[in-house]
Amino acid sequence: MLEVFGRHPFRAILIWALLLVVVPFLPLDDYILHILTLFLIFAVFATGWNLTLGILGLKTLGHHAFFAIGAYASALVSHYFGVSPWLTIWLGAIVAAIAGIVIGFPILRIRSMPHVAIVTLAFAEIVRLVLSNLKEITRGELGFWGIPPFDPISLGGTTIKFGLGNAFGSFAVAAVMFVGVHLLLLMLLKSRSGLTFLAIRDAEAAAESLGVKLAAWKLFAFGVSAAIVGLSGAVYAHYVLILTPSSVAGPDMLISLLAMIIVGGVGRFFGPIYGALLLTVTSELLRDFGDYRMLLYGALIVVFVFAAPAGIAGLKPAFWRKRPEAAQKPAEAT
Amino acid sequence: MSGTHLIETLINGLISGSIYALVGSGLALVYGTTRVLNFAHGELLMLAGYFILLFAVTLGWPVILAAIATIVLVMVLGALLQRVTIAPLMAREDWAFSVIAVTIGLSIFLQSGAQLIWGEQYQGVPYFFHGVAVIGEVRMPWQRIAILVVALGVMGICGLILYRTKLGRIVRATAQDAEAALAVGIPAGRVHTIVFAISAGLAGTAAILLSPLITVNPWMGASYLLKGFAVVILGGLGSFGGAVAAGFLLGLIETFSVAFVPSEWSNVIAFAFLIAVITARPEGLFAGRGA
Repeated sequence: MLEVFGRHPFRAILIWALLLVVVPFLPLDDYILHILTLFLIFAVFATGWNLTLGILGLKTLGHHAFFAIGAYASALVSHYFGVSPWLTIWLGAIVAAIAGIVIGFPILRIRSMPHVAIVTLAFAEIVRLVLSNLKEITRGELGFWGIPPFDPISLGGTTIKFGLGNAFGSFAVAAVMFVGVHLLLLMLLKSRSGLTFLAIRDAEAAAESLGVKLAAWKLFAFGVSAAIVGLSGAVYAHYVLILTPSSVAGPDMLISLLAMIIVGGVGRFFGPIYGALLLTVTSELLRDFGDYRMLLYGALIVVFVFAAPAGIAGLKPAFWRKRPEAAQKPAEAT
Repeated sequence: MSGTHLIETLINGLISGSIYALVGSGLALVYGTTRVLNFAHGELLMLAGYFILLFAVTLGWPVILAAIATIVLVMVLGALLQRVTIAPLMAREDWAFSVIAVTIGLSIFLQSGAQLIWGEQYQGVPYFFHGVAVIGEVRMPWQRIAILVVALGVMGICGLILYRTKLGRIVRATAQDAEAALAVGIPAGRVHTIVFAISAGLAGTAAILLSPLITVNPWMGASYLLKGFAVVILGGLGSFGGAVAAGFLLGLIETFSVAFVPSEWSNVIAFAFLIAVITARPEGLFAGRGA
């Protein structure tokens, strides 16, 4: 069950961190930094979702709602109350976590995958509708603009600026979030609680019989997952500086992220990162063919489910595949 | 709310409810028999919308002929969808999620495909029935009344097939236990294909009835999908009769909620009701016999 992490997960994170430190010193133009920033934000989003979808095995389909909640909560508070985005992004994460725990309650009562999928999807639709209906506050589908960028910070004489025209600053924020979230999450998952998550996924009844408090653990996982996604949403809001309900909580967001996770590898710790990188870059390359983006994502989901259900992360290590998959999943509750 | 207004709201609720019932009962039939949640169901509806547009408007066929051609074509598509994409996945251990993922992928693929082929404009289909029925003070266009009548008729036929014919017994037997059905010589695989075809036919019927009212566009199916799923859950997962009842209930909730809150909030109420029902009664409101 530990194939989730690959062989040297901490080393892998270290390599990512080193790569990200090197990037700003390369002669890259702002446009490439912009794409990489988007990649880092979506990678965190995908990893957060993968926590429930792949690692806990709860097939939730509404995590774009937490992204939207984190984004709007942080954007609204910083805009209307003048609070620094450095503080409101945490508020975004907390509000998203609370929403995750609240929606976790109805999900606890059900073990059937279709119910979970539909409840979470309906929840996301409610969030999208509420955001677009509260026009006095969010300006609805016209878009909420005037979101402040991160305040400049001074580090030993040099000032790092953020927002438009300062690609490096935003990249640095996204990179710090990316490394921080993945490192903390890996530490959590490698600890006893991580094993509990995997035990719940692989054999829920057995885990329960050994004294695992399913309800509490699932709520905890939901909260952590929603907080990560909410944080990525908040950073996204202060990066792009304009939000519309359908762009952050609409079906396109759901499909994009689902495609990233499936292409990268559902339930693999590093899978969503590869998926986010591949799809963010491809969709930028296909920018001139904007109409084809969703066509491509749809096709990619179908192709990967058929041809490579474990995603890119599952293709690499032949080493793991030779092992007989011990303790297969019990029949899914229907 | 005056008496006339009350009756009009009631009839309007039943009319939108009949579309939800058509979409939801098709999803429920598939779910009840195969345990598959078909996220591409809305796109079958959308494609049927373009078929009726092609036959009835572009080619100018008589409405009945165009409707029959549309339903046959969309049933073939439904069967094809099951054979090509879903059947091969059912052998996998993690099929439940694979099928959800594949049908989601297919759904967005067909949506953007339709957008590329037919463009983004909304294309109108003229009313099939003209005039307005006037009963006392209640006025209702015949086209809207026809939706209710035709939907009830088509679902009635499906109900008769399911509960009164040999094919229906075979379908229900497969729904109860596909392996046992195989053991007594029922070709369960073929039954699954037939069920998908019937379900697509129901979606096609909904598309034909809807197309004059909401115009044909690439997203017309997507907006009904989540409602359809809500109906499946409220009706008790997989129950055909329950889904029909839940469809009408959802239609009524929506139209009556407009009397109390602005219309853009009616979907919020419908989905909140869905989550509340799942929390309180996961087995649905009308749980009974399956399929």
